Amino acid sequence: MKHYLVKRLLWMIPILIGITFFAFVLINLSPSDPAEVAIRVNEITPTAENIVQMREQLGLDDPFMTRYLSWLSNALQGDFGNSYANNKPVGEEIAKALPPTLYLAGVSLLIIVIVSVAAGVLCAIREDSLTDKMVRGIVFIGTAIPGFWAGILLMWLFAVKLKWLPTSGMTSMASVILPAVTLSLGYIATYVRLIRNNMIQNKRENYALYGRVRGLKEQTIMKHVFKNSLQTSLTALGMSIPKLIAGTVVIENIFAWPGIGRLCVTAIFNRDFPMIQAYVLIMAVLFVFCNLLVDLGSVWIDPRRRREA
Amino acid sequence: MQLKKGFAVVVAAVLCTGILAGCSGASAKTDVSTKEELNYACTKDIRDINPHLYSGEMSAQNMVFEGLTKNEGGEVKPALAENWEISADGLEYIFHLRKGVTFTDGASFDAEAVKLNMDAIVGNRERHAWLDMVNEIKENVVVDEHTFKLVLKHPYYPTLVELGLTRPFRFISPNCFVNGTTKEAVNGYVGTGPWVLSEHVDNQYATFTQNENYWGDKTKIKTINWKVMPDPQTILLALQNGEVDLLFGADGDQVDLDSYKKLEAEGAYKTYSSEPVASRAILINSKSSITKDIKVREAIEYAVNKTNIIEGILNGSEDQADTLLSKGVPYCNIDLKTISYNQEKAEQLLEEAGWKPGTDGIREKDGQKCEITLSYNSKNAQEGTIAASIQADLAAIGIKMNILGEEKQAFLDRQKTGDFDLQYSLSWGTPYDPQSYVSSWRIPAHGDYQAQAGLEKKQWLDETITKIMIEADDNKRAEMYKEVLTYINDQYVYIPISYSKTKAVAIDGLNGVTFNDSQYEIPFEKMYFSN
Repeated sequence: MKHYLVKRLLWMIPILIGITFFAFVLINLSPSDPAEVAIRVNEITPTAENIVQMREQLGLDDPFMTRYLSWLSNALQGDFGNSYANNKPVGEEIAKALPPTLYLAGVSLLIIVIVSVAAGVLCAIREDSLTDKMVRGIVFIGTAIPGFWAGILLMWLFAVKLKWLPTSGMTSMASVILPAVTLSLGYIATYVRLIRNNMIQNKRENYALYGRVRGLKEQTIMKHVFKNSLQTSLTALGMSIPKLIAGTVVIENIFAWPGIGRLCVTAIFNRDFPMIQAYVLIMAVLFVFCNLLVDLGSVWIDPRRRREA
Repeated sequence: MQLKKGFAVVVAAVLCTGILAGCSGASAKTDVSTKEELNYACTKDIRDINPHLYSGEMSAQNMVFEGLTKNEGGEVKPALAENWEISADGLEYIFHLRKGVTFTDGASFDAEAVKLNMDAIVGNRERHAWLDMVNEIKENVVVDEHTFKLVLKHPYYPTLVELGLTRPFRFISPNCFVNGTTKEAVNGYVGTGPWVLSEHVDNQYATFTQNENYWGDKTKIKTINWKVMPDPQTILLALQNGEVDLLFGADGDQVDLDSYKKLEAEGAYKTYSSEPVASRAILINSKSSITKDIKVREAIEYAVNKTNIIEGILNGSEDQADTLLSKGVPYCNIDLKTISYNQEKAEQLLEEAGWKPGTDGIREKDGQKCEITLSYNSKNAQEGTIAASIQADLAAIGIKMNILGEEKQAFLDRQKTGDFDLQYSLSWGTPYDPQSYVSSWRIPAHGDYQAQAGLEKKQWLDETITKIMIEADDNKRAEMYKEVLTYINDQYVYIPISYSKTKAVAIDGLNGVTFNDSQYEIPFEKMYFSN
């Protein structure tokens, strides 16, 4: 296990360097001159004079590798430079926007777990019954509706028509409900199917049959079936956490949620390169670490994988 | 059987929810006469409203900061300067400042404060390169406590108009200066205007409260809540939900035309449309391989059916433009040749230019197909539809027009490099038109410059525009404007489409919704609630 951990950690070094390089190279792949972008974003007309001044200010005349190494060394210390749009430190902007996104993702995760487990177990217990079909049907519709459309529909129904919830913003406890439900819709469908199928598969395993033969109550058998079915779902759920955080981009814009998703969209429209670079880097690092944690977790739980490791 | 039953249950559930929704949606008219807060929704945050920089929302800057003059009803009127005198040679402007005015932090507004602000603006000249006025300032002089003298290098005629623009010539309390300037940042947003910015949470909301010590008429509404909602669809739902009282914006950026028309038809809201403020036109590049031929440009102008665009796409909400700038714009009430839709004439011109119909219906000349591209900012859906209409018009005369919708920055890059055949152009509107708009034609970063770059007399054009700005004699200036606008018109570089209008939608009970000269300002101070 220790050997596996060290091996995985060592592998992360080149991966993370690759990611930082990719995040930085984005700026050079763009056809736009960053100096000009930085001027335009403040609604100033670029002229030869102010472009030269801005290039100097942003250090764009330095060789590529010098700029990359300087950016990397600053990024490692949490300094991602200043935003082109408002000249504020990118790190501070992200630090401010991250808590609302984590809050939204956290509530979504809670909804996903509660609804998926309840619906998945129900479907598995009542396999092929009317309830099973109905739940799967609703879940299927949930998957088919694009997030932005589902968001608008929910807003129309629960805010405008029923007047139960606010349309948008982060003004009260209730305002997280609509964006969180919208964000979780797509995931619920996946997990309901996953839990249901795993449980049905486990129901047919020999240990369940043996339990029945021993005369154990069906409820007790299902408890074991449920426990054994969770492992795959937990692994998938682990990888969903960074996806949930990154997936808030559209939802945050619709619901005027002041998180990093919205920060990222605004940065893309403004071509605010320092902000985009930081966002890409942070998301990529988050994915890499979650992947590592999920892998370590599954190795720790599963004795077969532990032996392989 | 079971499945059928299940389906029936689902349908019943959906219907019930719908009926429930329908029932509770009907709301009684609410009493707004005691309302003291106005909720305004905007797709953008107010950001940094330093009046000497450009990263903030202009309408928010206009609420807090004032200038020496203001542009109202097409005229220059006194603001923080009660009156002024201009020297005979047009080089010195002596402003008599309003007495008893203080910034909202208690600092007094006097000639010293004016000089500090003006010096800070001039000290950041590069940032204001788009505005010739900044380059023309030679000296800022304090004559006495309430008298300020502005000394110019040349007799720059739009001086009073440009001093009234929303930025950069607005005054911020000297206490907000950082290291004696405003160039990099300020430590607060304190002005003399009718509103005080009392709270701002980035990307969420801003609260403006009434300036209780305002020198002029106090606002009728106590508080303005500026809510940030990036999605226009959400704004509409928030309006219907009663969370928002007002939508206000230029060129469909807050409320799209379809929604505007729908809300107008519903009758539950009041809709407002300003007088025409800016010109919407299509640029034809005089340097591109096909459109460099003046006959082709003329043919394109004849081929575009503007009535289809105005009636079919813009729902008749804008006035058709026959000339680039409306006759109501200063110096633009001149006789210019106008072009009406005429497909036959367009075809005849293409024949004369040597473009003959090919076997596939597309015209050809020396083995080259008559194929051009119109690029636009894909975020503006309206422009995409207009492009499709023009595409059909040009196909009818044998020109294949490709439509390239691209991300805003890519669109701007294309403007800068001149890598386009056809592109959209929107003038800046009053009070920037014509001087600032025409002035920008000389800057290579603008699409206008690039589209005009192939013209035989481009150098003369730029030089004349420079001379106009510093011509002291009004008659001579008018004559020069006439020469410039006539030349541009006769070269068919622009297809004038319409004169755009600013639009607003308000809840029933919000009164006093009007428009300022600048499409970027919102006159909140004139609004009030009453049943």
